[in-house]
Amino acid sequence: MRQRRTWPVHAALTAVSAVMLLPFYWVLKTSISGENIFAYPPSIVPHGANPFYYIDVWYAIPFARYFANSVVVSAITIAANVVLNAMAGYALTQRFRGKKLVLLLFLSCMMIPFQATIIPAYLITGRLGLLDSYLGLSLPLFSTSICIFVYKASFDAVPRSLIDAARVDGLSQWTIIWRVMIPLARSATATNVILSFIWSWNNFMWPLIVTRSPDMQTLPLGLARFLSYQEDSTGALYAFCIMVLAPGLLLFLMAQKEFVQGLAAGATKG
Amino acid sequence: MRVSGLALRKSTRRAILIWAFLAPSLLIFLLYRILPLAWNVVLSFQAWSPMKPAVFIGLDNYQEMLFDDDVFWQALWNTFGIIASAPIGIAIALGLALLVDSNIRGRDVYRTIIFLSYPLMTVAVAIIWRWMFDERVGLINYVARAAHLVDKPIPFLNSFTWALPSVIAANIWQMLGFYMVIILSGLQTIPGNLYEAAGIDGANAFHRFIRITVPLLRPSLFLCFVIGMLNSVTSFDLVYVMTGGGPGRATEILVTYIYKLGFNQTRFDYAAAVTVTFFILLLGITFLANRLSGGNAGAVERD
Repeated sequence: MRQRRTWPVHAALTAVSAVMLLPFYWVLKTSISGENIFAYPPSIVPHGANPFYYIDVWYAIPFARYFANSVVVSAITIAANVVLNAMAGYALTQRFRGKKLVLLLFLSCMMIPFQATIIPAYLITGRLGLLDSYLGLSLPLFSTSICIFVYKASFDAVPRSLIDAARVDGLSQWTIIWRVMIPLARSATATNVILSFIWSWNNFMWPLIVTRSPDMQTLPLGLARFLSYQEDSTGALYAFCIMVLAPGLLLFLMAQKEFVQGLAAGATKG
Repeated sequence: MRVSGLALRKSTRRAILIWAFLAPSLLIFLLYRILPLAWNVVLSFQAWSPMKPAVFIGLDNYQEMLFDDDVFWQALWNTFGIIASAPIGIAIALGLALLVDSNIRGRDVYRTIIFLSYPLMTVAVAIIWRWMFDERVGLINYVARAAHLVDKPIPFLNSFTWALPSVIAANIWQMLGFYMVIILSGLQTIPGNLYEAAGIDGANAFHRFIRITVPLLRPSLFLCFVIGMLNSVTSFDLVYVMTGGGPGRATEILVTYIYKLGFNQTRFDYAAAVTVTFFILLLGITFLANRLSGGNAGAVERD
């Protein structure tokens, strides 16, 4: 194909990138400069970097408590997702009666948004006695269709001959699963870890519904609560935003490939 | 004899193992997807609150919703507005995907930057955009005033005209990267020699786009629309934090209305009726989109 000039493409993409990044820059700038956000005109570059707003956050709210709650809920969710989805994904690679029905069930559950189930989900969680508990906060996210299909695709890709060879060597079904299948599905595991982390870390509506005591609140709830009594008048709010966004952002940048592949694969396979 | 007996036992054992593997996931799905769906339907025909016994009242909840509830209709139209905005985001993403897909230097960097906003916590994104749209201290008003586009700052989120478009803009900003990634993976499945052949036949860039790219991308575009629609009509976090449904009910969507009915007014029965309507609406639109995309988007949903 003939080579076209690339600068218009670069110009367009740079402009879009600027729009995508500008809000981040603006928040970061204000949070580290201690600038009064009513200043007009606002300064474009930060003057005199200092951590005052971050210290404000630390003293204004129980940040460590929110953070710990978020970490515990996310850890439970991730562990459950990896175990449950790997098991279900493996089962779906086998042939058995009723497989079509199970596949149909998993697929149709993708079409049921969680927001359309909140009222009964709240009542069910209440009946189980799990309101205001870590388990109650994470239980609805324990298994997701997309992640099951990511595992299924990964297990399906393991060459048949490899499994047959292992069987000829006298390995049991369990050993084959543990020593052959699971290690070969490493990227599916990575995808599961990342997606379930992002979903539970960012989750807002469900914690809003099931938590009662301030001690059980997760970071998104803490953030919304901070907004409700600080309004937008303080830079501390934006320092809090940065503190909340940073972990997700770092994880995403480290594992971008697995994340994107997982989404694309899950979306097209599912 | 012995052999067949052993084989039978072995296959039964295998079946038990498979179902044991499936059981935990199935349990979660039954408990938090299927059962709530059924419970919603039952609840919508009842008068019930946590302290009172349930009474069957037929269609009374639906009747109230359709004929006596202006908020429901407002929330419904706002939800339609948000759904209608999904194609805008997808069109922008398609353009970006075509640009990023060309062989230019630094395409991975561009892709990362554009995708960056998708995995972020929506509550934080909402707070950031609340500030961007602010009347007194918002960046958008500052830029608009500095460029002499407006005389007086616009109170975006407190205005009946601008509040919904502002929320939609923030939503598109967050979803753009996701659409782009899906479209990019669709573009990669189009064999390059199709373009070469078309080039030899004298088709120009525009024709190649209309005749090859768009038809072959149809499953990806359908997928974007369905996921984008689901994502935007359920963007509870964004609306709740940015406007709380206000001013008045200008940004109330069905999901925020359901939440308020259930957890602020403790009207679980009525909220269930709205939920059922909401869910039927989603199914209808998905079905319609599937038809419009040629009805072969079942290819996407095939095992």
